[in-house]
Amino acid sequence: MIHKKVGANLFAQNTLNMRINSHLQILSLFMLMLLAGCSGSVTEPVSYFAVETPRPFGYVIGDEIAQRIVIETRPGITLQTASLPARGQINRWLNLTQINVEQQGEQTVINLRYQIFYAPLEVKMLSLPGFTLQFAQGDNVLSKDVPDWSFTVAPLRELAVRKNEQHEYMRPDVRPPLLSDSAALMGLWSSCSVSVLLGTYLAYLYGYFPQSRRRVFKQALKQLAKLSEGDMAQALTIAHKAFNKLNRQPLFQHQLTDFYRQHSEYQRINKSLEWFFDYSYHYFFSGKQAVTPQHLEKIRELLEQCRKIERGAL
Amino acid sequence: MSFKAIQHSLIWAALAISIGALLFNTGALLSVHSDNALIEQLVAGHDVDVSKVISGKPELRLARALYLKQKHRYDEALSTLSLIMEQGDQAFRAKVRYNLGNLYLEQAMNHVETMKMNEALPLVDLAKQAYRQALALNSQDWDSKYNLEVAMRLLPEMDRINSGNEDDPKKQATQLWTTVPGFPRGLP
Repeated sequence: MIHKKVGANLFAQNTLNMRINSHLQILSLFMLMLLAGCSGSVTEPVSYFAVETPRPFGYVIGDEIAQRIVIETRPGITLQTASLPARGQINRWLNLTQINVEQQGEQTVINLRYQIFYAPLEVKMLSLPGFTLQFAQGDNVLSKDVPDWSFTVAPLRELAVRKNEQHEYMRPDVRPPLLSDSAALMGLWSSCSVSVLLGTYLAYLYGYFPQSRRRVFKQALKQLAKLSEGDMAQALTIAHKAFNKLNRQPLFQHQLTDFYRQHSEYQRINKSLEWFFDYSYHYFFSGKQAVTPQHLEKIRELLEQCRKIERGAL
Repeated sequence: MSFKAIQHSLIWAALAISIGALLFNTGALLSVHSDNALIEQLVAGHDVDVSKVISGKPELRLARALYLKQKHRYDEALSTLSLIMEQGDQAFRAKVRYNLGNLYLEQAMNHVETMKMNEALPLVDLAKQAYRQALALNSQDWDSKYNLEVAMRLLPEMDRINSGNEDDPKKQATQLWTTVPGFPRGLP
């Protein structure tokens, strides 16, 4: 019986607690809604405003301090740039060296860069002066204060001006920088490599490499230079040998078409080649071919043309 | 003229151009090394032919100004530096201004040592101006910071009207300030 009564009391207490809890929940929800209504992210003209500053200590003379102001406004509200502080000297010891306004989507970011020229005798607290930003919405003007920002600045040297260990009051002159030779070196190496490459290629074209196939007619011309009209048989043999070497097998007149297929550039001197093979045939086989100095000259001209082709100049 | 012949001529032309570039760059490299030798010579305290400095790079003038300052030829050093104030990149211009500040400050110190305060004051002011300009160009230059502080100690800047909080920036913005000479001669 006693157990039953205790059980009923506990049940009643639990129910009461649950009711109180649910009321509290409703109340807190209501308060949250009220707060949300007060903050008014939708209705406030400036929905977000933050001044981002660096560490507020450890500055010395000549240091720069960056300040970033981030603003988010309702559409249609524009920042009046005239309300921004002007670039230049703000007071005796403070310069505003840089100011720029960026629009990043709905956010307006103002970047300010100050430079301090305060020479404190001991660690001293200074402050960047605040200013009032103005926004325009139609004819209405809204204001938002950027507060002062305090920071400490420290001295770099002791109080008395006296000579240091090197018997100088001050830091020495800066040594003039030595001129950089990297651009000239780079230019030198690149022009040198290009020259070497081109020179090597031309040397290859002109048959200066011992095993090059581009020296066939060069050698033939050298041998021909020693001959006179009396050595026509030798001259013709030299020329034939040169053509055979180029063709990698004996070259006959009827094979010229195949030869041109492999060495198309020689087709340009087809007439001279046809003449050469005709002349050679008649000289060796008919035995009636007259030999004149002009014929030897013609063979030399043919080989010179071949030489030009060989070095890629024709 | 066939395509092959044109190609062949072009290879020769390219070779000629690259050899020209090679000669030009060799000349440029020799000139850089010769200028650097002159700079080293001036820094070591030996004078060089002025015509080479006049026709050379601004770094040479900076070196000669340093040499002239070492020899206490301050006016010549000043005129040499003033010729290169707007030359070179930002870092170089900062260096020129720093050395200019040092030139003024050293002269001011010399006057202070002989107790010629009236001569020293404008020079300290000029030195401060030069260091400020150097720091505006390169705010990371510790030597400029240090020497500016030396100059500031010699000639502290104070507000004309002491409003209780002499560093209140809002009040200073519209007020004039002045400089008061103070030459601390060592701690007590």
